[in-house]
Amino acid sequence: MGPYDSSVSAGSSSSSGSSSSCSGKPADTIDGLLAGAGYRVRSSELRQVAQRLARLETVMVNAPTEVSHLANDAVHYNPSDLASWVDSLLSELHQPEIAPDPSTFSDLNYIAHTQAGHVLVNPMVSHRELSAGTEIEEDSGIRLVHVLMTCAESVHRGELSLAASLIEELQGLLTSVDGERGIGKVAGYFIDALSRRVFAPQGASLADSAFENAVLYHHFYEACPYLKFAHFTANQAILEAFSGHDCVHVIDFNLMHGLQWPALIQALALRPGGPPLLRLTGIGPPSPDGHDSLREIGLRLAELARSVNVRFAFRGVAASRLDDVKPWMLQVNPKEVVAVNSIMQLHKLLGSDPSRGSPIDPVLGWIRNLNPKIVMVVEQEANHNQPEFLDRFTEALHYYSTMFDSLEAYSAQLEKSLAEIYIQREICNVVCCEGLARVERHEPLVKWRDRLGGAGFTSLHLGSNAFKQASMLLALFSAEGYCVEENEGCLTLGWHSRPLIAASAWQAMPNIHSHE
Amino acid sequence: MAGSNEVNTNEAKKVVPLNTWILISNFKLAYNMLRRPDGTFNRHLAEFLERKVPANTIPVDGVYSFDVVDRATNLLNRIYRQAVDNEAQWGIEELEKPLSTTEIVPVIIFFHGGSFTHSSANSAIYDTFCRRLAGICKAVVVSVNYRRSPEHRYPCAYDDGWAALKFVHSRTWLRSGKDSKVHVYLAGDSSGGNIAHHVAVRAAESGVEVLGNILLHPMFGGQERRESEKRLDGKYFVTVQDRDWYWRAYLPEGEDRDHPACNIFGPRSLSLEGLNFPKTLAVVAGLDLSQDWQLAYVQGLENAGHGVKLLFLKQATIGFYFLPNNEHFYSLMEEIKSFVHSDC
Repeated sequence: MGPYDSSVSAGSSSSSGSSSSCSGKPADTIDGLLAGAGYRVRSSELRQVAQRLARLETVMVNAPTEVSHLANDAVHYNPSDLASWVDSLLSELHQPEIAPDPSTFSDLNYIAHTQAGHVLVNPMVSHRELSAGTEIEEDSGIRLVHVLMTCAESVHRGELSLAASLIEELQGLLTSVDGERGIGKVAGYFIDALSRRVFAPQGASLADSAFENAVLYHHFYEACPYLKFAHFTANQAILEAFSGHDCVHVIDFNLMHGLQWPALIQALALRPGGPPLLRLTGIGPPSPDGHDSLREIGLRLAELARSVNVRFAFRGVAASRLDDVKPWMLQVNPKEVVAVNSIMQLHKLLGSDPSRGSPIDPVLGWIRNLNPKIVMVVEQEANHNQPEFLDRFTEALHYYSTMFDSLEAYSAQLEKSLAEIYIQREICNVVCCEGLARVERHEPLVKWRDRLGGAGFTSLHLGSNAFKQASMLLALFSAEGYCVEENEGCLTLGWHSRPLIAASAWQAMPNIHSHE
Repeated sequence: MAGSNEVNTNEAKKVVPLNTWILISNFKLAYNMLRRPDGTFNRHLAEFLERKVPANTIPVDGVYSFDVVDRATNLLNRIYRQAVDNEAQWGIEELEKPLSTTEIVPVIIFFHGGSFTHSSANSAIYDTFCRRLAGICKAVVVSVNYRRSPEHRYPCAYDDGWAALKFVHSRTWLRSGKDSKVHVYLAGDSSGGNIAHHVAVRAAESGVEVLGNILLHPMFGGQERRESEKRLDGKYFVTVQDRDWYWRAYLPEGEDRDHPACNIFGPRSLSLEGLNFPKTLAVVAGLDLSQDWQLAYVQGLENAGHGVKLLFLKQATIGFYFLPNNEHFYSLMEEIKSFVHSDC
């Protein structure tokens, strides 16, 4: 799949785009050339947009101090939608809004993330350029990738005995590259995954202890900023959505250690006008041995909330899969404002059982029926759910190579290794598993937009304030090379221009027939 | 002054297609917001507003791209290449073979514009431009993500350009022809053109081969106010005042525009005579207020005994090449194509 056709803007849904649309109505088409420059403007609106730009210019020339307000205080949204952006600037200038209190957001910086910065010490190896230094190693690395792809191809074609012999060859080749970094390291994990698929398909998926998962997750959280970015961006958006409301309820689709929530609790404690009553419902797998880890985390969070005078109530919902959760378990109160928080969970619902269909649709359905004020969705920005094995394998090789690259800067060796095992599990699932066992069915933002739009959700744009905060946070404690980008109202975090994780915010579209 | 702006908008609208006018006006207004009077720059808002695209190993219009980070400098280079016909190879980057062992495939190192301050190699406008350049000219294009001002002033951009040149020369997979070497051209628009010039000078001084320079309305200037600057000030998207801001942001603090980075053949510059300087294709837009400086540059190269071809596009404004909706774009591409293939 090539989402970046020259006549379709980055990140746009596949149905819109070039002026050769089959709708037959020229008024609906997007100007293809501007789309190539990243701007979506309907051909029928060109004149109007030009007029507004001209008017904006006149206003800016006549009032230079207003320009400074636009730059420093106004929040900008979705610059790809040029018409809306220009209009929002015009309305800013005619009715200047009271600037939001910057201190509300700056506290999130200090509270959420106290980890010291990790300075880039080793030059990065791009996932595209396969060498560590000597010519000999460069050739070995390239050969490794060749054979790896050939092996994947043979698996794709079902030629398992060929695949098996190629795996042996690959294991031999691994010895002549540096397995600690660059292509050697990534290839090692993929060879391992292919090996599991070919030799042990039944036991292919790695042992799934919830405790182990949590430990690995924690190290992944520390070693690179992807999860922190997810939590931080989500909290910002949730905080804004909760503004002015006294009863708020967060539903977390994957509580884990509840790492996301102390920052939100603290920020709510400090908000002007005082904190709301906060309910948190945390969903997580059932704990073994009668242990109730959800409750324990809830207790810790309650303790924190108490210490900052935030009225707080916690409820744990144990479910091994999200589609086992029924809305009545969440006990949503009609008077409260609901935020649904899904950090890398929705893709797990994309697998389908021939008898039941795909759980994503009923789940999106009940989410919508909760009438949430905001649904935060953070997902891996990758196309690992393609029907053909070889396509998935190739995409995953590129994606995880980039991710491993970004990890190389992290100096604490043990933590880095554990973080890598976390990633390895994902790789294994993408490469080894099929059917319902394959849960890591990542899809890119383009597809999620279509899916969520079709399920009755409308996009809530993340603005320049969220962008700036995220960028500043990254600069504080991550290696150089990470970058935040704005993508039609969503934010992505990537490594050296390759987005790896995408955050978007949604709300339920108003019902035509609302039952109040 | 305020009243005359309404007239100016109409002038520009007469000479460019509507969507081009919208694109460049949008940049003009956004950039206006980002430049602060005290010389600082609102980088976060700039990055937020910048439309970027990732590289794509799936070919679009016959060209695919991928990013390479130069380990020595941590700088990103985006490479654009013609697609191979064998579909199975799309998505897999073959970094071992030369481009060709029989034909010469020109490699154009491209420095994007943005007055040293704006844009990146992965900006949508420049990604699209480089794709078109690679496809039409049947060349490999290497787009350099150099460090920008005011955070990184002179000579950072030149150092990064020099690093990119050395990087490109040392890639075996960029070699071509029976002589198996990298056939390098330097190119750039606006500040990128300025960078290309300075990198070419350094290359000539160091004996590193550059086969030609392609300068697309390059950013040059000087203390003096030239006639074109006065005549065209504010008329076609650009003002003298904004040019001054960008020079102040790029040049070392306290310097003026006669600094040799800015004023190439000015009072403080070293002579280029006797230097093994590459041939130049200089493209000047007739509605660009900086044209007198660019024309003086062309004259200066001639005086110093160096080959230069001038492509003067009388009715073109800055940025005419962003959208392929005008004759100037096609003239430009034809010229560049024959310029990089003339040695074959």
